[in-house]
Amino acid sequence: MATQQYTLVNPVTEPIIAPFDGAPRLPSLAGTRLGLIDDSKRNADVLLEELAEVLRNRYEIREVRWLRKPSASRPADPEELQELVSNVDSVVVAIGD
Amino acid sequence: MTTSFTDTTTTSWDDALSAIERGYDLGWSDGLPIVPPTTARVAEFIGYAGRPPDDLLGELPERRRVITVEKAAANAVMAGCLPEYFPVVLAATEAMLDPVFNLVGPSSSMGGAAVLCIVNGPVREQIGLNSRNNLFGPGNRANGTIGRSVRLILMNACAAVPGLFDRSVIGHPGKYTYCISEAEGETHWTPLHVERGFNAGDSTVTVFAGESPRQIRAVGRPEAILYAMADVASTLGTSMSTSGSVGDVSVGIRQGQIVVTFAGNSNLWRDWTKEKIREYLHANIQRSVADLKRGLVLRGDIEPGDEAAMVPLIPEPEDILVLFAGGEESNMASVIPSWGPKVGSTAVTKAVRIP
Repeated sequence: MATQQYTLVNPVTEPIIAPFDGAPRLPSLAGTRLGLIDDSKRNADVLLEELAEVLRNRYEIREVRWLRKPSASRPADPEELQELVSNVDSVVVAIGD
Repeated sequence: MTTSFTDTTTTSWDDALSAIERGYDLGWSDGLPIVPPTTARVAEFIGYAGRPPDDLLGELPERRRVITVEKAAANAVMAGCLPEYFPVVLAATEAMLDPVFNLVGPSSSMGGAAVLCIVNGPVREQIGLNSRNNLFGPGNRANGTIGRSVRLILMNACAAVPGLFDRSVIGHPGKYTYCISEAEGETHWTPLHVERGFNAGDSTVTVFAGESPRQIRAVGRPEAILYAMADVASTLGTSMSTSGSVGDVSVGIRQGQIVVTFAGNSNLWRDWTKEKIREYLHANIQRSVADLKRGLVLRGDIEPGDEAAMVPLIPEPEDILVLFAGGEESNMASVIPSWGPKVGSTAVTKAVRIP
């Protein structure tokens, strides 16, 4: 039987990635305000509390604000996220599990 | 009418066996042979559904994916569907891409869920879906290939590739195919889609992120079946008894839903409605604080009173999806725990658009 050519519809999608500019880096954490996003998985709070303590001692962090997501598998609420970032200078996200 | 496709691949083969091997080479398979998604066959599916190929079925923003009719059709062809099954596949895809379902959770989680599709309404008979003997298969083309389409769409169009975005530790065989229908005509019970706000004449697909079914072999009396069912559903180790906030009734959305199926002759249930079954199960699917502490679901040492203090595992009676389905031979039943709490994923029902 002779080889024949076929055109197939590609079932696979490719990611569509919008251009993204990261926030400017801070020159130092000294005296800044820190935001922490707890993904709500078990021990995320333990890990982040310890981290906050380390950063407080090392950089004299002025203020710490928390945001706890309702579920690890859902994105943070955009309004709550906006409120967090407008009140802090840096944010740390952690997955505790 | 010629359908124009946005994304095609040209390949070649010389006989049936090499066509099958090409399917594997292209990396599009779930491990089983695929039907080649030739432009002619995919166009036939799209033509039957009567929707443009670039019609958007939904998005998966976390993975930067958009899923169109064209992508769904290619995967449905590969799964071995007939064109008349395709509207059901489209409805299932739209349902699992609904933000309430939160597909990114159950399709990536270590928890190893599959997307259970429950079909209701006239389309069941029109395309020959099975709702009786061997409910979960094998043996029926419509159930087998519609469920498989959903998995191929997850892997190819939603990037839920095992080992990459799909991080299931164990998973279950329902991840190959997991599609059932309700035996609506053979019970006095209200069909699932009517309970969920559709008309009896509508056809629908309900998607549910589920663990594997656990069969219940207690038979004979409704009370005995329900007692055993509550016992099975209350076990430690399911997602329902490991959710991070079990026992905190202030956050019911952090507990999960459940699907239960009842087979056999519906006459056994003549004194029971679905509502009455839900009330019983809601009150009896529970576990003691002591056991939840032993299983490290709740923290702390066991205190006096913990053995007697019971914690409900289902948020509300409405979170129990009751189906009449399974073989006529026996009043056996099954329990399918959800993948996770409702905040992680909640069942969604969508109408099937029959052309």
